[in-house]
Parts: sequence; structure tokens; C-alpha cells
Amino acid sequence: MRIKILIILSLILLGCSSKKEEQPKQFIYPKIELVANVNNSVAGDAVAVSFKTDTSIKDLKLQVKNAYGNVVLSPEHSENELMVFKIPKNFTRIAGPCRWKLILKGHTLRYGKFDIATNAYKATYVESYFGPRSVTAGYNDYSMLTISPTDAYDNPLDNGTEVTVKHQFQENIDELKITTESFFAFYNVRSTLQSGRILVSSECNGTNSKELATIVYPSNATDFSISSSSAHNFADGNQIITFTSDIIRDEFGNTVTNGTLVTFIIKNENDSYLYTIGTTINGIAEAKTLHPDKASKWEIQAFVTGAAESNTTEFAFKPAIKDYPVHFSKGNRNIDIGPFESFMKQLIPDGLLLQLDIYDADGVFVASKKTTTKNGVCSIFLGEHYLAEGDYILKLNAAGITKEFTKNIHGDTIK
Amino acid sequence: MEKKTNTLLILALIVGLAFHGSAIFFTLESTYDALIHLFFADHYANSWFDPWEYRWYTGFTVQSYPPLVHQLIGILSYIGGLKFGMYTVALIAIILFITGAYRYTLLMTGSRRIAGYGAVMAVFSSTFVETLHIFGQLPSIMALSILLHSMTEIYLWIKTGKTRYFITSVTMLAVTVTSHHVTPIFGMVFFIAPLIGMAVMDASRERVNSYKELTFKVFWSTTLQHFWKIAKFGGSAIFLIVFCIFPYWYNSKRNPITQVAIPHGSRDNFLEITSSGLVFFIIPWGVFLFVLPYFFYRYFSKRYIFFGLSFALLTILGTGGTTPIPLMMLGETAFNILTLDRFTLWATIMALPIFAEFAYRMVEGDLKALIQSKFGGVYHRVLGGLIAGGMLFMVVFTMTLGYFRPSQPAKINMLPIVNFLGADSHDAWRYLPLGFGDQMAWLSAQTGAMTVDGNYHSARRLPELTTRAIERIENSKFRGVEGIGSLQQFLTVPEKYNLKYIFSNDKFYDPILYYCGWQRLQQLENGIMVWEKLNVAPIPQIMPKQDVPSIMKIMWGIIPLLTVLIAIFVNIQMIWVRLLKSRKVKEHSFMKLELPYNKFPSKLLTFSHWWALAMLICLGYGMFIFYVKNVTQLSPNNVVESYYDALDFKEFSRAHSYIDPKENIDIAQYMLGVSVTDGILSSYAKLDSLGIEIYDKTENSAKAKVATRWITPLENVFNNDYHELIKRKNKWYLKSSKVDNDIPPDQLFTANSTTYYNHGRRKITTQETYHEDVLKQPVLEILSAKLVKYKGQYSIIGELQNVDNTPADIVIKATLYNDNNKELASYNAKHQIKHKLMPKETTTFKINFEGIAWSSTKDTLPPTFDPDQFTPVSFEEQPTKFNLQSAGNTANTDLYKHVALQDLEYTEQGFNGVLFNSGVQEVTIPQLIISYYDEDSQLLWVDHKFVTEGVRIQRKQFFNYKPLELDSLEIISSSLENCFVNGLPNKAIANKIFPNRKVIHEKKQTQPFKGKGYEYLKFEINSYIGNPK
Repeated sequence: MRIKILIILSLILLGCSSKKEEQPKQFIYPKIELVANVNNSVAGDAVAVSFKTDTSIKDLKLQVKNAYGNVVLSPEHSENELMVFKIPKNFTRIAGPCRWKLILKGHTLRYGKFDIATNAYKATYVESYFGPRSVTAGYNDYSMLTISPTDAYDNPLDNGTEVTVKHQFQENIDELKITTESFFAFYNVRSTLQSGRILVSSECNGTNSKELATIVYPSNATDFSISSSSAHNFADGNQIITFTSDIIRDEFGNTVTNGTLVTFIIKNENDSYLYTIGTTINGIAEAKTLHPDKASKWEIQAFVTGAAESNTTEFAFKPAIKDYPVHFSKGNRNIDIGPFESFMKQLIPDGLLLQLDIYDADGVFVASKKTTTKNGVCSIFLGEHYLAEGDYILKLNAAGITKEFTKNIHGDTIK
Repeated sequence: MEKKTNTLLILALIVGLAFHGSAIFFTLESTYDALIHLFFADHYANSWFDPWEYRWYTGFTVQSYPPLVHQLIGILSYIGGLKFGMYTVALIAIILFITGAYRYTLLMTGSRRIAGYGAVMAVFSSTFVETLHIFGQLPSIMALSILLHSMTEIYLWIKTGKTRYFITSVTMLAVTVTSHHVTPIFGMVFFIAPLIGMAVMDASRERVNSYKELTFKVFWSTTLQHFWKIAKFGGSAIFLIVFCIFPYWYNSKRNPITQVAIPHGSRDNFLEITSSGLVFFIIPWGVFLFVLPYFFYRYFSKRYIFFGLSFALLTILGTGGTTPIPLMMLGETAFNILTLDRFTLWATIMALPIFAEFAYRMVEGDLKALIQSKFGGVYHRVLGGLIAGGMLFMVVFTMTLGYFRPSQPAKINMLPIVNFLGADSHDAWRYLPLGFGDQMAWLSAQTGAMTVDGNYHSARRLPELTTRAIERIENSKFRGVEGIGSLQQFLTVPEKYNLKYIFSNDKFYDPILYYCGWQRLQQLENGIMVWEKLNVAPIPQIMPKQDVPSIMKIMWGIIPLLTVLIAIFVNIQMIWVRLLKSRKVKEHSFMKLELPYNKFPSKLLTFSHWWALAMLICLGYGMFIFYVKNVTQLSPNNVVESYYDALDFKEFSRAHSYIDPKENIDIAQYMLGVSVTDGILSSYAKLDSLGIEIYDKTENSAKAKVATRWITPLENVFNNDYHELIKRKNKWYLKSSKVDNDIPPDQLFTANSTTYYNHGRRKITTQETYHEDVLKQPVLEILSAKLVKYKGQYSIIGELQNVDNTPADIVIKATLYNDNNKELASYNAKHQIKHKLMPKETTTFKINFEGIAWSSTKDTLPPTFDPDQFTPVSFEEQPTKFNLQSAGNTANTDLYKHVALQDLEYTEQGFNGVLFNSGVQEVTIPQLIISYYDEDSQLLWVDHKFVTEGVRIQRKQFFNYKPLELDSLEIISSSLENCFVNGLPNKAIANKIFPNRKVIHEKKQTQPFKGKGYEYLKFEINSYIGNPK
């Protein structure tokens, strides 16, 4: 019974198939002999795989596969039942295992494998990289030199190939030998304690690499001292005071990099924090600012933020102007102030700021006027369209000296 | 009768070609549109079938504009280059227009003589001059001209029903469709519908003996008779409009225009904005304005009644926003999309035949006789001379408008830019031109490099652009708040668009470029400044592209030129016959309808005179108003206004003439005083509004408080100035303001500084830069970073230091996350940071999270300019964490640090401080970055202030700063955990480079100040130098 069902089922199944059942052709493996077995080759050498058959067979193909890729070859010539397959150059130049398969109509007849060795003898090229391009002086920074020696066909040389690394810093030239691993060799060039330039190069099989360099920059600045200088110490609001640092160095005695920013913080007598900025050249930072226009006492300290600070230095500005005359005219509408005399009784340089605050008789602020001196004097005119007639309190302030007047302002000056 | 060649037509063609043909070489390239068409043409010349164009707007499709004119230029460019193609097409358009006007007039009047007049009038019509020589609308002219040509054929088809005419009319219509899409659509309504009406009317007339007998009943029955012909034509026309440019409609459906309405002068109220009135009303109408009553009289006769309705409609629609009618008729959407000037264009073209008729009657017809009999021969000659003179004046005026009031920046020599983009793989990044005007399209056409901008706003897809009512980022300063806002987004986050180079032809933008972290690269031979941004990746190899089915590409590539070929093939015989008069053709039926013109209505003449008088009075009044507004010293108000106007336009000698002469300030002294002041107001600002308040005015004196609002690229500047005014000899004058007399101590002095140079590539190679030429990125350290909420807005604030030994350019990007690590927003530091740091320099920074501005508030666009206007991102969820990515790149420019804080004093008005420039470069715009700290010297907030005047060398500059109140500030997160420098964790860098950081230095450099919510303050200075030496 079961057999019947099985037969019926298989008949149905056969009936369902629309394709005509292909009769499996009996494939007859031809007799093929490998003539010359290539076991090992060197990159760049010509390689041919030959077979001998008893009869001449058409459609015989050789499939070759290695790191370069995959190709199906036809025999070069097939006289005398000798089939020669020449493996293309592209394939034979790549080092590593190379596999082949002899195929006839989808059937593998034979297969094999040979190794292509790197061709270090012909020529060696050295490819090298060095980075980062700069390191910091001290104990914990380094640049890495990576060397990848290759043969003429760009095959990395075998593991264990010896590479000579040379590095120069100042008078020292060091040389050492390292070996490649996983196709490349590397060496960490440690930064030095002194700043400067480290040059490196490498050599392999007599081939030298190009010169590569890393710059050892100085480490962080250490505390330093500053001084201040000026033509005089009067608060004339015109001269320029210069702050200078001594040579700023790092902990190893290197002068800090040019351009290092140094902030000079000035604290004045009102606890205002002013500042001026200098950048170093050969370790020395210089910064300038203007004299104040009234007597002041400055405390100056400089910083390389986060790294170093200086001593605190003081600079006391003496008053340049002791007093100044004020003259009212034209119904007290015209105010002539000055001459302002400086420390040698000379007229002060132009541009001293003078401020007039006007309050009415009850002390309520009305208006404010600013002007600057020219040729030692300045004047303010309060036209009647600016200030109506009446009593006012006038407060003048210049060079830190405040003067207060109560005046009756009157008169028509336009006509 | 032997048909003679129409001499007037030949004359019109010769004069037209000679006049327009030679003038286009001086006008076309500085028109608004011509170069855009050139760019499209360049696209077709390079890739005929692929509609995708990468060079504008990060990619757009050219199927967004009908292609015929572009393809014609493109094909002709193979012979003699793009410009050759453009001029050739322009010449063809001129010929087509003149002949089109001739045929249209012939159809309308039935008189070859008047048609000749029509051709001559077409040459000198100011509307045509404007459309061609000022607007450069080649496709529009082309389409309109062919539409005019097709009208005769359509008329004959309706009238005779001969298939021949059906074929000729549809072939011509197809060409019209492929040259311009709006023209045939509206042309159907405004030209063809009345034409059909007229044809039916003529047919009805033939059925009765006189127009009097022509009743509506007759007309209706004739219409029914012709119905199938009309339907056949109408159906075919609609089919052609859809089919010939089907890919266009397909694209419109797929990429609907999301662009917000861009203001256009044609929608203005012409009485308010007189410049728009001039360009969009006075110029196109020209002398036609004086003849308007005649147009209406003629068009509202029975035969032309449909044209009359259409003409009236067009005239009204062309008035734009002057009357509310166009808005009501078109509806909000159409009103804001269409440019209404085209209605005026059509109206004036429609009026041409009637004007020709008028001219004929005036020159040799009954009008001449009437005037001569009524007013005498001299009057007729004078009147004729005035009309002809008026026409010529309008033509010359229009033609030279672009010369006297240039709408475009001076012509830029593009070659250095093209070379720059081509060299050294500069085209691997996008570029952005600034201040190029419409010439940017010509630059794009010459280079393969891509820009984020573009000049065809309907095709834009970036929401940053479509949500702004700006035409181009390139001219953003003219578009106020949206313009600068949009530009700032591109400048702040350029890496999003792979934008690396900016070509600046307008120094207005320089400060914003600097403060957004861009640096000057070089000045090209043509004076264009190249700015570059570091740390921007090149454009990826594979870019997104919106593909269309191949059938669309083939249709788009083949149909347009095919329509031209078919039209020529179909019409060649007719052209041949008509041109050479090789064979006698039967006169068309409309030729019989020529009017006798024997009695010009006398009433019309009188009315026309009154009308002309009214026009003249209006004109005179306009000129009078113009004069009164420009009398400068009539009142205190006028003189202040004029003075500021003069300052704004840098006309200093004019400004000096308003200064009280009794003060004896000579012009040289005044100029000296003005020329030495530099700063954002005097060099980079445009006066936006002026509020003048005159008080204490007496007979001869007054005081003025002038509140000014200046537009600068950085922010709005509000200034209050006080002036004293005085009246002398009936003229008002300003009292001069005090000049700062400060003089520096030294005439000559020395300064040393470290300068840097970066070779770029040491080896000249076309390969990628060699490994050893790649500089190490300077190492930065983020000292603090916090997410804070202040006044409802989230910001990241912090401080960082360049801990390397080389100067660094800083780019810093923050991303916000919520508790579930969902990314909420990301933005870069804009101008609240010093972008260039010397070794060991620190900077505080603030990152605001800006959304795509106005995307949610489309309807409430701010009415005026406000560059600081800021659109905070609207967060759906609460941000709780952040990620900070900073990158340093070696900088070698903009490293000027010699501005000192010389004095600081706290008063009731805030901090009064003095800046002092101790170096050798003039600082144009100093910026103060003010940071706030709590009692433990922990950073709380960062603020900034631009000082409006520059700091000259060895001189002081005063500033005032009002400290903020921070009691409402909330610190949400303070962490250095997710902070990265050049892709490496910040913590590792801090441990390696600054293991023993002295944190006390921070505190020692800050100003103790008891404020609301903070204990310490710090002022940092960032200086923009306008002209580095």
C-alpha cells in the first residue's frame, strides 16, 4: 500500500514538473597531467601552468585567484596536447598565495596553489609617515614614525624585515634597528626636554627614506617677573607706559614659543581691573597702555592663563595738573577753562577730557557736556536755546579735579 | 492691384534692428533676468537631457522653467559661445516682435498703412524698451511676439474654418507655450478670448447690413455656429499647454513652490512708492497715458468690445497695490505670486494697434484735418512734435535709466574668480558671492563650482531660503531682517552646506564675515575679496538628486525645438509668399473691414485735451512735491534730515554746507574730522530710520533730538544725537559737534609682533596634500561648559583655551539632548566668541540655538530690518544634556590683540570704559565680550557689545556698558564630560597638557562687581580690522 502511494505521489510530482527531465549526462573526466608544478615564485616573475592531456580538449579553462582578483584563462597554445596557461603580470606581481583551478564545462579537473614571494631583491621602496608634526617638550609626548618598506611591486616586505631608524636632535644622531610586523615597522620618537627640531629618516635594504621632522615646542610657562617703564610718572593721560616681562621659560629652561599670550592685569585705586595684552618674542612679552589722566596707583600682575603668573609690580602716577582756572562770561553762558598746566608748567598735550554736569538750584541733574582741551584750554558755551535763564549748579571735572560753581545764567547772546 | 512692399514695415525693421540690436550689447547684460536665462542655457549646453542642476541651491531642476529660449541659446552657444547665443536670440525676438506687432495691427485695423505705423510704434514703445533693455525678459518677449503672430491665424481659423489655419495657429501656439508658460495661459484669457469674440463679431456683421442691426441675438446665433471651431481650438490649446511642457507641470505638482511671497515693486502702491510707480506704470505707459481716452473710445466700439473689456481689465490689474481692485480680483495667493507688471505690458501691447491708428489719423488722416481746421496748422505741428518728442524722450529715458540709476553693481571681471575656483580644487567646496547682483548667474554659468545661492527663487528647496522673502542671499542687505538673518545662518553653520569660499564685492558684509569666524584669503585682481572658512569638509562625491522618468527628460529635450521646427516647416510657404510677394494671395477677409476714417469725433478731441491737461497737472504736482521735499534748509526738520542723508551717502561736502557758516569750519577741516572717524556706523551702516524731535524752537534757534536707527551687518544700532540749530538769512544750519582733540604722544613708534605664514602646499601637486604638509590641529582645552536657560532661551556657555603653541582658529558646535538622549538641536558659536586665539589665549563663548527663522511665523514677518532678530528653536522637550565639539585649525590672520582696557568706572549709567589701541593697526569695530561669574568664579553668562566707533592707533575710545540682571538665570547642566577637542575627549587633553592648571588665574583676572545674580565680571576684546596693513 505504502509503495503504491509513494509511486502515485512521485508520478504526480513528476507530472507537475513542466521541464523535461534532463538526463544527467555522464561526464567523463579526461586524463590530465600537470606538467610543471609551480610551487613558489617571486613577485614579478613570469608564471605559467602547463598540463598535458592525451587528447586535445576544447574549452579547457584555468581559473586563477589571488589578492589581485579572479580571472579565467584560456590556454596560450595547445599543440601536442600540451596546454600552457600564462598567468597575467598583474597577478604575478602581487605577493601572497595564488590559487588555481582547471575547469572543463563547470567541472573542476584539478586545482592547486602556489606562493608568490615578495621581491625585495629587485628594489625596496620605503614609505614613511611621521606625526604629529609637533610635540611638547617633556616626558610624556612623542611622535610616531611609521615605516612600510615595499618591494618594486608595492608588496609589503615580509615580517621581520630589518629597518634602520635614524633620528637627530641637536648634536645627537641616534640609530637603531627595528623589524617590521604586519607589514610595517614603527618607532616612537620621544620628545626631548629641550625645544628644537627632531629630524628622522629610515633605511631598509639600502634604500633611504625622505627626511621627516617634528618640532619640539617648549612646555608650559613657569612663573616670571615683570617691570614697568615710562617717560615720566605723571598722570597726563597722554604718555604710554610699557610693561615688560623677563624671558619667560618653561620648567626645562626653554624659552616659551613666540606669540604666547601674556595678560597684564592692572588693578587701580578704585579696584577696577584693567588690562593690556602682550605676546612674547624670544620669551619677552611687552604690553602698553596709556597713562591715566588723574593721580592713580596701579598694581600690575601678568598671567599666562592657567600656567604661570608674575610678581606684582606697582606704579604710582603723580598728578600732572594741580589746578586750573575757570572763567565765566556773557551772562555766565560762556565758560573758559584753562590753561591747564602740567608738571613743568607746560600746557598739557591736546585731548584732556573735561566734563560739565549741570544741576538746577535744587540739585536735580539737568544735562551733561563733554569737551576736550586744545592748546591747553577749552570752552563751553551754554546757548539760551540750550539752557534757559536761571540759577544752576555747575560741576566741572577734569584731570581728577572737581570744581563746583553756583551761577545765575542769563542773557541773550544770539543777537 | 499689385501688392507693394510695405515701406513702413521695412523701415521699422531696419530702425528696430539697428537701434535695439546695437543697444542690447550695452544693456542686456545688466538687466535683471538676461543672465539667469544665460545660466539655464549653459545648463542645456552641457547636459541637454538631464534636468538636474547642481550648481544652485544645493541642486534644483531646470524643469521649473519653460526651456525653449534657454535651449535656443544653448544650441547657438556651440557656434559662438553663450553670449553669442543670447544676443542672437534677442535679435530674433526683436524681429519677431516688430513683425508680430505689424501683423496684429493689420488684423485689428485691416489697413496695411496703419499696420506699418504699428510696426514703427512697436520699435519705439517704451514698454518694449523696458522689458528688453531693463528687465531682459527674453522668454516673455519671445512668447508674446509669437502669440501676436498666431492671432491672425487663429482669427482666420475661427472665421473660415480652413484646416490650414488651424494647423498654423496651433503650431505657433506650441512655440509660445514652450518659451513661456504664463504668456499663453493669460494670453488665452486676455488676447485670444477677445480675438475669438471679434472673429465671431465680424462673422455676425457679415450676416447683417450694419453694426446697428447687429444685435445680441445675431451674435449669439453666430457664436453657436462657430462653436465647434472655437471648441476645437480651445481644446487643442489646452492640450498644447499641458503636453508641450508636461514635465514642467509634473515638477510643479511634485515640488510645489513653498517660497514665501517675495516683495515685488509691481505690487506696491505707486502713489506711495513713486519709484515703483515710475518703473511699473509711468515708463511702460509713456505717452500712451495721454491718449488713454482714445483707446477706450475705440476699444469700446462694437467690433472691439471684447478687446475693450480685456484692455480695461489689464489696465486695472497693472496698477498693482495702488487700488485694492487687483488684490480683490486675483485673490491673495495669485496676487503675491504674480508680478503685476506683466499686465501693464500686455495692456500697452494691446493698445499698440489703436495707437498706430491714432498716429495715422494724426499724421495723415481725419484727426489732422480736424485739428487744423479747429486750431490751425501750427498747433497741429506742435502737438505732433510734442507727442513724437514725448515718445522719443520716454525711449531715451528708459534706455538710460540703467546708466544713471544703476540697478546692478558695476560689471565684474569674472575671470579671476573662475580661475580661483578652478585652481587647487577650490571647486570641491561650495562658494557664495556677495554683492554681485544678477551677475552671479554669469559667474555660475562660467564655472562648474556650486553655490548655495541662486537666482531663480521659485526653484529653491532649502527651507533656510524658502521661508525668507529674499531673492538671493547675495543681496541680503537689501532685504532687511530676513536677508541678513538668512545670511548669518549660512555663515555660522557653513559646514552644513560645504560652504568654504565667499567672494565679497561689498564691504558691508565684511564685519559679519569676520565675527562669524571667516578669514580673508586674498584679494583677486578684480578687487573681489575672497573669504574662507576653516574646518569645512568638501562636498561629498555622491550628492542627492531628484530624478524624473526618462520619458520626461526626452520630452523636455525634444519637444521645444521640435515645435519650432514644425512651426517653421508649416509656415515656411506662407512666410516665403508674404516676404517675396512671389505669388498673389487672396486678401484675408479682415482686410475688408478697414474703416474709412473720415470723421474724427470732435467731442473726443476736446475730452482728450482736458485729459491731457489733467495728466500734465498730475505730472507737475509730482515734480513740485519732489522739489519741496528736497529743499534742504527750509525748516529745522529739513536741515537735520538732509544732513543725515548727506552723511549716510558719504557726501561730506554737502553735509558741510549745512554747518553754521559763522563757526568758520572750512571744508578741509571738516572733511579731515569726518575722514578720521572709522567704525561700524561710519563705514558699514545704512541709515534705516530717522526720528527727529524739534524742541525749544524759537524764531532763530532750535534743538533737535535725533534718534537714528542704523542697519549694520551685525546688529541694529540705535543712536540718540542732540543738535543745536540756528537760522541765518532764512536758512537753517546745524551747529557743529565737538571734535575729539586727543593727540597721541609719538609721531613715529615701533612695535614688534609675531607673524605667521602657512604655505598651504609646499609641493606643487595636483594630488591630495602630502601627509607631511598637513599641519597638526592646534590643541584646545575646554575649561568650562554649561547649559543655561535665561529669559526662556537655552544657551551653551563656556570658556576655552588654546593650549597649543600655534595660533588657532576655533569652530565650536553644540548639540542638545533630552533625558532619553534624543537630539533636539545643534548650532555653532556665532559671534559671541573670539574665533582666533594666540597660544595660551582664552575665550568665553556662547552658543544660541537658532531655528530656521520665521518658519513658524510666516504671516507675521517683521516689517522692518532687524539683524539681531533671533529665532530661538522651539523645543518640544526639555534639553538636559549637551555635547560640545570644538576644532582648532592653525590660524595665521586676524590675530591683533593690542587693544587694552585703559579705564573702567561704574556709574549710574553703567560701566564707562576706555579702550586704548597700543598697536599699529586701526581697529574698525571693537567688540566687547562680557562674561559673568558667581562667587566661586564659575561662569554664568556671556554677553557682548559692539562699540560703534573704531579705535585708532595710539588713541582712546569710550564705551558704555549696562550690566545685566541675571537673577532669573538657571543652570541646567554643567559638565565637561561630553566635550571634545578635535575629536578627542577634552579630559584626556587636560590631563596631558595642563595637568597642573592654576585655576586661580581665572579669578585673578575678573572684576569684582556686585550685580544681580553674579559677583564677578570680565571684559574681553575682539577687534575687527577693516583694512589690515
